[in-house]
Amino acid sequence: VNSSRRNFVKGIGFLSPWMVGFALFTAVPAGMSLYYSFCDYSILQPPLFRGMENYREMTHDAVFWKTLVNTFEYAAMALPLGLVASLGVALLLNRGIRGLGIYRTMVFLPSLVPLAASAMIWLWIFNGQYGLLNAILRPMLRMGIVRSIVGAQNPPTWLASTTWAMPALVLMSLWGIGYTVVIFLAALQDVPVELYEAAELDGAGPARRIWHVTLPSISPVIFFNLIMGIIGTMQVFAIPYIMTQGGPAQSTYFLAMYTFDSAFNFMRMGYASALAWVQLVIVLLLTTIAFVGGNRLVHYRTR
Amino acid sequence: LKLARIILLNLLVWPAVGIVLWGPRAQTAPVDNRIVVDYWEKWTGDEAIQMQTIVDSFNQTVGAQKGIYVRFVSTSNINQKVLVAAAAGVPPDIAGMTGAELASFAAQGALEPLDDLAAEPGHRITADLYKKVYWDGCHFDRHLYALVSTPMSLALIYHRELFQQNGAALRAAGLDPNRAPATIAELDAYSRALTVTDPDGTIVRTGYLPTDEIGWFPTQISLWFGGKVWDDKTKKVTLTDPGVVRAYEWVASYSKRLGVENVERFASGEGTFDSPANPFMTGSIAMVKQGPWISNFIEHLKPEMTHLLWSRQEELTKPPQDRKQNYAWAAAPFPSAVPGMNDVTYCGFDTLVIPKGARHKEAAFEFIAYVNRQDVMERLCKLHCKNSPLANVSDDFLNNHPNPYIDVFEKLARSPNASGPVQIPISGQMTNELNALFDEVSKLEVEPRVGLQAAQERLQADYDHYLDIQRARTAQ
Repeated sequence: VNSSRRNFVKGIGFLSPWMVGFALFTAVPAGMSLYYSFCDYSILQPPLFRGMENYREMTHDAVFWKTLVNTFEYAAMALPLGLVASLGVALLLNRGIRGLGIYRTMVFLPSLVPLAASAMIWLWIFNGQYGLLNAILRPMLRMGIVRSIVGAQNPPTWLASTTWAMPALVLMSLWGIGYTVVIFLAALQDVPVELYEAAELDGAGPARRIWHVTLPSISPVIFFNLIMGIIGTMQVFAIPYIMTQGGPAQSTYFLAMYTFDSAFNFMRMGYASALAWVQLVIVLLLTTIAFVGGNRLVHYRTR
Repeated sequence: LKLARIILLNLLVWPAVGIVLWGPRAQTAPVDNRIVVDYWEKWTGDEAIQMQTIVDSFNQTVGAQKGIYVRFVSTSNINQKVLVAAAAGVPPDIAGMTGAELASFAAQGALEPLDDLAAEPGHRITADLYKKVYWDGCHFDRHLYALVSTPMSLALIYHRELFQQNGAALRAAGLDPNRAPATIAELDAYSRALTVTDPDGTIVRTGYLPTDEIGWFPTQISLWFGGKVWDDKTKKVTLTDPGVVRAYEWVASYSKRLGVENVERFASGEGTFDSPANPFMTGSIAMVKQGPWISNFIEHLKPEMTHLLWSRQEELTKPPQDRKQNYAWAAAPFPSAVPGMNDVTYCGFDTLVIPKGARHKEAAFEFIAYVNRQDVMERLCKLHCKNSPLANVSDDFLNNHPNPYIDVFEKLARSPNASGPVQIPISGQMTNELNALFDEVSKLEVEPRVGLQAAQERLQADYDHYLDIQRARTAQ
């Protein structure tokens, strides 16, 4: 008993820096923001309690609804695309081809580029006039067939266009799939070889092996990446903040950006806190739905 | 293994202890027992270096006499940093903010009113020392909250050489290539005559493009159409004012004529203002609306457009009017759409303020007053290539200014039709709304009047909400 008690104290001792940090910099501020969400608080004057006022205001705040819709739109495009792309890349990288290490490094490398730097690179790639992407698309559109299928003479102006700015940001989000790919790769290598062998004996081709063996085996990891993806895409902030500042015409103005602007540019920390709590509730709801729906589809291996 | 652990531990612990005890320290106070005034400034790069020279000369002269040492920190995102520092009770003694944000900070009680300090016998800083637009702009709710650090006025900058080269086209359109357009209708005519497009609509060159000035343009654009976005007497947002509507309709007219996608493509190909690919400097835009600093940028980024006849040294020996021939560009008042309303301009400015809770108010004001001394102000404004906010301007300032057209900017700043930033507590929201609306209008996604009406309702609600809160606070 004595030694387990000593171990406990030791454990707490080692954990305490984190616990103090968490309490001071996360738990207390989160609690305060919940209180502020019921106040009018400009940061510069003491908070003024207003009850549900901020939440009521949100219901008829056109900018809030616009940013909410934008955020959902982004998540609906970026999340599935990111999952499929990273799983696809992981499957390719999981094969025994030559120079695999190099390919794996190449896929992961973009994730190491600082956000601001990659934003600058992509600003140029998406440049409507001189951008790399349009330099590739333009000659393609000159071909009669492509033009008649696409029905456009010129490639889009991407970040300058209200129609194309959002898809451009989604495309760019694929740049950072490195981490997800690494997690998928680890899971893929954990799939028991016996299962593949059994499937092969039963006459399953490559597609069926993926569908009936690989996917069920790594379903907990797919699920994990899905949850992380929901959280990540619902909080999208840095890239659009640097690249588009929410424009053109607020077509890439997201909830997290509106929260930031409300707090620091409009000096409405109370309203911003309310926005942040609504965002948390939305993420919680989506995660719960994913858990409930996912339970049937996720197979945890019993040991 | 134990030995290795001890060695490792020592290798880690001792350097850490050393850094804590003898490591680098923040810049400390100077030798003598002077009051240290902390001054945070939004300028970075050259502008910060130039301000540092003013701080240095203060520290060596007035500061040394009065026992004050100004510690200068150049920092980006100054509003957010001052906001957080003020909330934490440790604001800097002086903050260099832009004039447009004055009201939102003052309305929250975040700034120290400067009326009493300015009126002190030692300073006597009064309205008659300033050009009206800047003095008024430093006020909110009848109190002085700031003094100017450097100001600006906006003018039409046109490519004189390009005008000459396209003289035939301009003359064919009944226009004079030797002068700037004098009305908005003329500006449009010049613009059309100077525009070159490919058969597929791709814009190669345009005379003018309203969307080129996005960023700070949306809230000011209506001034040249006689429209105001805010009525300070009735405290109403007035975006449906006929002048404002006309201004936004004018913006839309360019997109209608040139094609939205063509404009987008042209605009995305443009380089940024401070790069050699700046479209005015590459000659792909013939006319822009800009402040006096453009002269500095052209000098550095496109020297071919300057010193056509003489070297800089030689040029400064010539009479002021002759100096202008030395440049491929020229400046004139940006034309107005209202007959008889001349010399319309927007006068923004940078300010020095004392945040509430600053520890050394008097000492801080000594420095602010120093910067506003005529000789110091003229030195700083020449370094930054801006006009002066002061009523009196020396001949030396006008004759030896890096911008040969400084007289145009000075005249505009004195004009009765010069307007400063809209001083309302919801300036952040207004900029946000109008930026978005400007985009929508220029992309022809909304009828100007409809968009303005909707934005007006939202902004008025924001302002009324602000009033509600103020009332609730006073009732408490």
